[in-house]
Amino acid sequence: MNIVPAPLGSGDARRLGQIERHDSLEARNSRLAVGDTLTVRVRRFEREGGADILEFRVPYQRAMRVLDALNWIAENEARDLAYRWFCGSKMCGTCAVRMNGREVLACWEAVEPDMTIEPLRNLPVIRDLVVDRSPFERIVASLEPWIERTAPYAGFPEPLLHKEMENASKALDCIGCMACYSACPVIGLGNLTDFAGPAPLVQLAQTALDPRNDPTKVGRALAQTGIFNCVSCYKCEEVCPAGIPIVSRVIEPLKARAAVLVPGMAKHPQILRRIVAARGRVDPGALVLGVQGFTALRNLPRIWRMLVRGKINPVRTLLGLRTAAASAARRLLS
Amino acid sequence: MKFAYYPGCSARSTCAELNEAMRRVAKKLGLELTQLESATCTGARELRAIDLIGFFTLNLRILALAEREGLPLMTVCNTCTLNLLDAHAAFVGDPELAIKVNETLTNEGLRYSGRTRISHFLWVLYEDIGLKRLRELVTKPLNGLTVAAFYGCHITRPPQRYGFIDSRNNISLERLAELLGCRSIDYSGRTECCGFHTAAHDERVAIKLTGAHIKSAKIGGAKTMVTPCPLCHTVLDGFQREIERDMGEKLDMPVLHLPQLIGLALGLTPEELRVDRHIVDPETIASFVGG
Repeated sequence: MNIVPAPLGSGDARRLGQIERHDSLEARNSRLAVGDTLTVRVRRFEREGGADILEFRVPYQRAMRVLDALNWIAENEARDLAYRWFCGSKMCGTCAVRMNGREVLACWEAVEPDMTIEPLRNLPVIRDLVVDRSPFERIVASLEPWIERTAPYAGFPEPLLHKEMENASKALDCIGCMACYSACPVIGLGNLTDFAGPAPLVQLAQTALDPRNDPTKVGRALAQTGIFNCVSCYKCEEVCPAGIPIVSRVIEPLKARAAVLVPGMAKHPQILRRIVAARGRVDPGALVLGVQGFTALRNLPRIWRMLVRGKINPVRTLLGLRTAAASAARRLLS
Repeated sequence: MKFAYYPGCSARSTCAELNEAMRRVAKKLGLELTQLESATCTGARELRAIDLIGFFTLNLRILALAEREGLPLMTVCNTCTLNLLDAHAAFVGDPELAIKVNETLTNEGLRYSGRTRISHFLWVLYEDIGLKRLRELVTKPLNGLTVAAFYGCHITRPPQRYGFIDSRNNISLERLAELLGCRSIDYSGRTECCGFHTAAHDERVAIKLTGAHIKSAKIGGAKTMVTPCPLCHTVLDGFQREIERDMGEKLDMPVLHLPQLIGLALGLTPEELRVDRHIVDPETIASFVGG
């Protein structure tokens, strides 16, 4: 790797790389000056002809965004380039693309000196940078993303606390750009799991985390989201242009609702909680046995390998030693 | 330098070699570690999803134990680190929660006032030991060993905790590896997810995701991978045979815990660092030690 050494001992270790790799707004905005030329590669795609990467030389203009570069290419070099945009101000959510392997809003991202622009992943490409949003729309529609009251409207002003809406209100910031859906590694595995993906879950959370909604309907929707297949990698949070804490304020609160409303759905977390409450710590053998039952024993070669290397301890799994941590956890979680 | 040491559940079970290596490396580095005997699990990802108050209470209790000792807290697991940082941030930002948790902790004579510094071993190397001192301590540089750094998620994301616009820009592990004499590579899996957190109910996701990461490291020329997280290690190393079966090809990629890589360069033997407990035998790296 080409790493520029910084003075030893300087800075904050957990943020190492932010200065060296221009990972700050200030550094990003000072990389280019008027008169510079950008190298822009755009992935072009036609249903018939397959994909092709075309390279363009684009003159840098002050405060240039990815969208400005695309507009310049469409006006001067490739008049048939297909890309979507409407508001140009981070409101409509139509212009998300991948720039150098990362999901960005074309209207809100500063250009790079050298950039490759591709369509979003995990959705079919219609042409060039335009993706088909209908798979997402179908999932959202199936989740019944509206409010059905169980009590009649109380009249204005409705008694509703900020605290009760703290997570739903975060989800309401969503502009539906699909950046998170493209960044999600579990969605990237296709139909391997039934995980609905971050974008549909954010749409669901707008109403499912609203206290006025009918819990039966919310439970029905959550049951088909496969939400416990979220791997908590925070890739969605990283790319969200609206800054929504998708894992901690959308997916986790939805998981908490699912644990209450959908019997059996939260088996893995509930068993982990039970184990921690009883033993103070997670015993991996007990967790896997608890979650998978005796089907866990199917994988004999691995069990044998782990036994030989001392990675699992059946005696400890079966006996569950009484430790100081166990009594503390019992007090706190019971 | 004294630290309250929090190994977490994994380093006490599936990755017990990490705990052993950490203790030996700490001695070499002059770190005095006090283990918090009654410290519980931080709740992994699961507890925080279904029982937020329980999650905060467990984590803040761990921080209170360290505070009682008057010591900063050192972790060796990414997920424990993020859980503790999140709980600390919630404690500082929500006075109501702070009072509630402290009421519970009072029952066992504990109280948290928000003063515990939480630091992963990776950060301790930079911030407390310092790279200058570490360089002086290297007795067996790992010259020519090509290393693929695998960060895992919870030490670089979420952005509001670590500040990266793009977590791929993190270079702390590569900088360390190069200081030890290694050559580090750029590859697509560096800051990607291993899929550990859903593996207890469905390990296919972990197998598919991690298979691609190991393969990209191998194509990049890595002779070993190194990770600061035992959960990533469990998938990278512990699941590697299943990954190979799924991909239909041999990978044989050794995976070291961060303290093991440091320990080798500080003159500890692979046996002392318990690399024999790994599923994939790291014998190939032995030839680089002291090279």
